[in-house]
Amino acid sequence: MNNIELPAEKEPEITSADEISLLVVILDTNPTQKMLRDKQNQLTNIVDSVVAFSNSHLMQKAQNKLAVMACHSKTSQFIYPGAKKPLDVRQVDGQYEAFLLVEKTVKQNLAELLASESSTAVTESLLAGAIAMALCYIARLQRTKPPGSKLNSRILVVSGSGDSASQYMNYMNVFFTAQKLNVVLDVCALDQHLSLLQQCCDITGGMYLKVPQITALLQFLLWVFLPEPPIREKLVLPPPVKVDYRAACFCHRELIDIGFVCSVCLSIFCKFSPICTTCHMVFKIPGPLAVKPKKRKLKL
Amino acid sequence: MANNGIGSSKQDNSSLITQTNLECKNLYEYLKNQPQNVLDRLYIHPAICLAVYRELPELARQYVIRILFVEQPVPQAVVASWGSQASSKEHNYVTKVLTDLNVWIEDSLPGGLIGWMLSPTFKKNLKAALLGGGKPWSMSSALDADKNARDVGFLDSYSSERWECVLHYMVGSQQQEGISADAVRILLHAGLMKRDEEDGSPVITRQGFQFLLLDRHAQVWHFLLQYLDTVQQRGLDLVECLTFLFQLSFSTLGKDYSTEGLSPGLLIFLQHLREFGLVYQRKRKAGRFYPTRLALNITNSQNKNAPILEEDSPKGYIVVETNYRVYAYTDSNLQVALIALFTELMYRFPNLVVGVITRDSIRQALRGGITADQIIGYLKQHAHERMLTADTKQPLPPTVVDQIKLWELERNRLTYNEGVLYSQFLSQADFNVLKEYAQSNGVLIWCNKEKRTLVINKNAHDDVKKFWKKYSKGS
Repeated sequence: MNNIELPAEKEPEITSADEISLLVVILDTNPTQKMLRDKQNQLTNIVDSVVAFSNSHLMQKAQNKLAVMACHSKTSQFIYPGAKKPLDVRQVDGQYEAFLLVEKTVKQNLAELLASESSTAVTESLLAGAIAMALCYIARLQRTKPPGSKLNSRILVVSGSGDSASQYMNYMNVFFTAQKLNVVLDVCALDQHLSLLQQCCDITGGMYLKVPQITALLQFLLWVFLPEPPIREKLVLPPPVKVDYRAACFCHRELIDIGFVCSVCLSIFCKFSPICTTCHMVFKIPGPLAVKPKKRKLKL
Repeated sequence: MANNGIGSSKQDNSSLITQTNLECKNLYEYLKNQPQNVLDRLYIHPAICLAVYRELPELARQYVIRILFVEQPVPQAVVASWGSQASSKEHNYVTKVLTDLNVWIEDSLPGGLIGWMLSPTFKKNLKAALLGGGKPWSMSSALDADKNARDVGFLDSYSSERWECVLHYMVGSQQQEGISADAVRILLHAGLMKRDEEDGSPVITRQGFQFLLLDRHAQVWHFLLQYLDTVQQRGLDLVECLTFLFQLSFSTLGKDYSTEGLSPGLLIFLQHLREFGLVYQRKRKAGRFYPTRLALNITNSQNKNAPILEEDSPKGYIVVETNYRVYAYTDSNLQVALIALFTELMYRFPNLVVGVITRDSIRQALRGGITADQIIGYLKQHAHERMLTADTKQPLPPTVVDQIKLWELERNRLTYNEGVLYSQFLSQADFNVLKEYAQSNGVLIWCNKEKRTLVINKNAHDDVKKFWKKYSKGS
């Protein structure tokens, strides 16, 4: 007997994830951002791009889910799905009803948020807080999802704010929480490089991109941030940048290369202090290093 | 010469076996076979562009969205460079799909390079669906508030009642009313039922049994495809109906839509959909209708694991234990009849049926043309919530799953290959030469040295014959 297996021609196995994927977009709408102040219509352009991008995410699969948050100077809010009852929209043109609903809701809620803004005090955007809120939202959906289904979540931060180390602790907490929850954090910097948020992309395996041209924002978003993490392996995307892993000291919130670390609670300080401000541990003032007496070797 | 020894060719049974199985096409397979002009006419409608886009493979969706806003052709080399090295096979497949569906077309660039460009109609209308512009879809004329508005719960129970009516009819439950001659005709056309030889009454076929075990989405989609096949005979326009169907599938549950401006053909189509429970209409002339869950995302048949809405998750009712017992919490005759297809029923209570999976019961089902995968799929799909929470990966006991598969393998101990018999070689040397040749080309199926016979793959017959002629001329 001579059995020979015939070579069977197979179609290449096409992977497609049969899972729900959730995208939370955090849009920095803080009016103190430099690029928003420089140009009149900048915010409208950015919102339009982000809405079109969000709708493209919904367009990928019927199961895809979306949430949009506005991160403002004093508060962070969900602007889609809003807190109120969903709007009753009817098609006005060829746009798909669900996409129209997203657009209308986002614009309406954002307008309300901006109108309620009264003070002109310069404050920085509460991005860490917004990410924390997004993580809570994701955790809630994880709990209430139907049994047997899988939810893949990611967060995209779109911000034109500058880098600031004053929220360093909050940032680190949310980054590691995201990592623990398997949430991918993507960051799209519009104006300046955000070195702290670069760290979060590196920690959670997300993409970081500083958009070279703000006018082409939508195209950049679609290219880099639309593919889901599993499909990113199959595409050629910008290589990860060298991440600046400097920590901010707890005393002055400055990024430092070399500093002092509390041996008990691992707090970082740029200058030596005899009492740790975090855990109140008392340290001895370091004297000159004692020279160890030379040991005499035993000779056999 | 031994060349006269081309004997009887083996009967090919494998094709006979596969033919009888139910073929459930997805949208891509359906559209691929549509002629070019139909595709072009389809792409005029944003709803179809959206549906086609969602059906594309993952990588293809990324490609399309990347060139959606590009106004000139993109060189093919550039497109190829988007995918990583490891996924080049997938890239080729994706390119083929996009070309098959006429989503993108080849175009030459000024420098003599060949590039890809999205088909202008497809591009325009996908953009419209995404960003707006163009005309509203046909059914979204403004309506005043409905004083008889229906909520989601009502629509759900209505649609499942209508659909189960069709399924009930198929399993031959007594009630014959509530199903029209039209629906019966479609069932017959689809091969899910056939006329009995004796009295001409429709009886269920093996495809029909397989159909029953599909999940609801796949059932609706398959049924509609069969319906669309017959659409032209009814004097309806295929493109018009498909467009309407997709618009319906992208509508919102619990909202009413207007029938204003629908063509007479579409109104007939709407009445048919109403009969199967895809839309709800209070009265034929109500002027408005509500799409039901059956109509939503109809094309989305391949992702049955991920329910689209939270409340969409089907209520499971089956518990399978490692001792092969099946407990089904149901009072529906249909579900009991389905369970009875592959189990031996033991007890029946008002809300519970207990059965046991045995070798005989499974073999009987397999003989009926149901596959093990379908049985397992059915049990998995309707697994009770308790089964799901225990371990999300595998709701069924692995022993039962494996055993069902083994029982199926028991029946498939033979594999069939189509081949051509070569025999009566004059010398052992001749036989060896031909055997070597066939073996090196990988077309040898079987050979016997003592009897000097060998069986060659049928497709390679011409090639081997040519070789033999050349060889025998030379010697």
